[in-house]
Amino acid sequence: MVASGKGGVGKSTVSSTLGLYLHRKGYNIIMIDADADAPNLHLIFNVESWEGEEELLDSWVASIDYARCTDCGVCAKACAYKAISLVDGKYVIDPIVCEGCLTCALACPERAIRRHKTRMGYIRWGRTRYGFPLYSSELSVGRPNSGKLVTEIKNRAKEKSDKNHIFVTDSAAGIGCQVISSFAGGDAAILVAEPTPSSFSDLKRVHTVAKQFMLPAGLVINKYDLNEDYAQIIEDYALKEGMDILGRIPYDESVPKSMSMLQPVTVAFPSSPASKALLEIASRIEERVVRNYQEWRRKHKPRKITPYYPLMVKD
Amino acid sequence: MKAKISVSGGKGGTGKSTVAVNLALVIAAERDTVLADLDAEAPNDYILLDVQLSEEKPVEIMVPRIKYGDCIKCSACAKVCDTGALIIGRDGYPFLLPRLCSGCRACYYVCPTDAIEEAKRIIGYTYVNRVESWNSPITLVTGVLREGEEHTPPVVIAARERAEKIARDVLLVDTAAGTGSHVAAAISGSNLLIGVTEPTPLGSHDLELILSLGEQMGIETWVVINRSNIGPEKYVERVLKNHKAKVVARIPYSHELISTYIERKPIVAAIPNSPVTGIIKDLGKRILEVI
Repeated sequence: MVASGKGGVGKSTVSSTLGLYLHRKGYNIIMIDADADAPNLHLIFNVESWEGEEELLDSWVASIDYARCTDCGVCAKACAYKAISLVDGKYVIDPIVCEGCLTCALACPERAIRRHKTRMGYIRWGRTRYGFPLYSSELSVGRPNSGKLVTEIKNRAKEKSDKNHIFVTDSAAGIGCQVISSFAGGDAAILVAEPTPSSFSDLKRVHTVAKQFMLPAGLVINKYDLNEDYAQIIEDYALKEGMDILGRIPYDESVPKSMSMLQPVTVAFPSSPASKALLEIASRIEERVVRNYQEWRRKHKPRKITPYYPLMVKD
Repeated sequence: MKAKISVSGGKGGTGKSTVAVNLALVIAAERDTVLADLDAEAPNDYILLDVQLSEEKPVEIMVPRIKYGDCIKCSACAKVCDTGALIIGRDGYPFLLPRLCSGCRACYYVCPTDAIEEAKRIIGYTYVNRVESWNSPITLVTGVLREGEEHTPPVVIAARERAEKIARDVLLVDTAAGTGSHVAAAISGSNLLIGVTEPTPLGSHDLELILSLGEQMGIETWVVINRSNIGPEKYVERVLKNHKAKVVARIPYSHELISTYIERKPIVAAIPNSPVTGIIKDLGKRILEVI
């Protein structure tokens, strides 16, 4: 899994390079785009048509039957998401904020609320022009729980794989349900950061979550030359935490340029400084994580067991 | 609160926080301004403003506590649970996987024997800072999801409500990347949405998602193109045409912007004569005109 906490620091660049590199080395890889909020790998890999597409109708929204509604307001109080508000004397459910949990319908004394199914999103799969399969998910805008979509897409990919397949997963930004769903059942976390205080803060947060899953982790610093001192600070943290330092990528205009060309940078500009660094990192990951996984895991797994625990309020 | 403006963009790392923080400082010169950082999974505005978070308040959600003495093993609670947090064990009794629980209370309402009590758990925190170290003082409200928790919307909503309570005049909201419910909850009730993007196919792909979210929520959207000189604008243009949105500012890739970002100094305060400062000031003026 490739993750970063902060968005736009280079997750997709690193994961796409890694996927393509391992594929060209003869591994059976499956690429998974687990950023259901903003999926992008199909653009980088230029997937023009999907082999399969499935609509997930697993999402609900509630609506009020005004013939029965007595404007009592019980529903608005019951809703944990504050999706119901009084508009011109009528209670109205905002379908974009509504999570479809049924609480308002159960709370309503007049049984005036029904819920109906709506599209949560799509899962899609196809072959990239480089020959390996890509599984992608797209959440309908404003819908909750994209973690479910990520779990679905992983399950779909697993059905069509065997023990020899290597899954390369590009996670979403953040540390919420999508990221947790992509970490679940994984073997290695490749964390990407840029040398800025924001990225460092978000890296530490996503690393805390990775540790809860006992995932061994490696660090890649992107655009390290924006501030080499800060890159060092982040690597010092990584060393202290037992992470594997996998390499540094320089800032290089060939990266955004290759994105505009809809090609991985290692294809569009194979001899650019960023491509060279990315390929070195990919080969290190192959050598250490793919070929010598047990040893790598022993060296770089979290030093302490720090599982998730719910923080209960004592009454 | 007289006006609520949200800064979003779909893709991560396009410059949402940079635009939001600097815009807040510019608007604060004219109007009382509250900045709400509702990117609860990766909050960064406090870092860009170089403050330590203060005035912590926990965000509590309901978590069911099952009174096994009253439970009749009907499984209604597990059936109604959308997130799969309530599982029926082999003995027929439900048990809870707390991480998955979103605190929606559906189980509490559905239980025919009132065997479910409301307990509470903390899934995150909200903070309030009075930020006076830059040219114009602002109030910063921040939502932070606890590491390991999955359900971001309740933290976003708690921080939004805390900000709305404090805001007397202008509320500026900075959202997370993406277009899911945690973003929708943040921008809900906005008078104006500012979509920050970059001129790449990926930026415009995600911009399209945020523009459709704005349309569905009936909010007018303006577009800011960040790093405007790194690629051709043709991809963004097509999206703008489809959604009848307009570009209100173009911010070029700038070393000044990056160095101030790393030094935790908002560029409008640190380099008043920078071209970027000028662009953000103009944008602030346009916003003040319409609100």
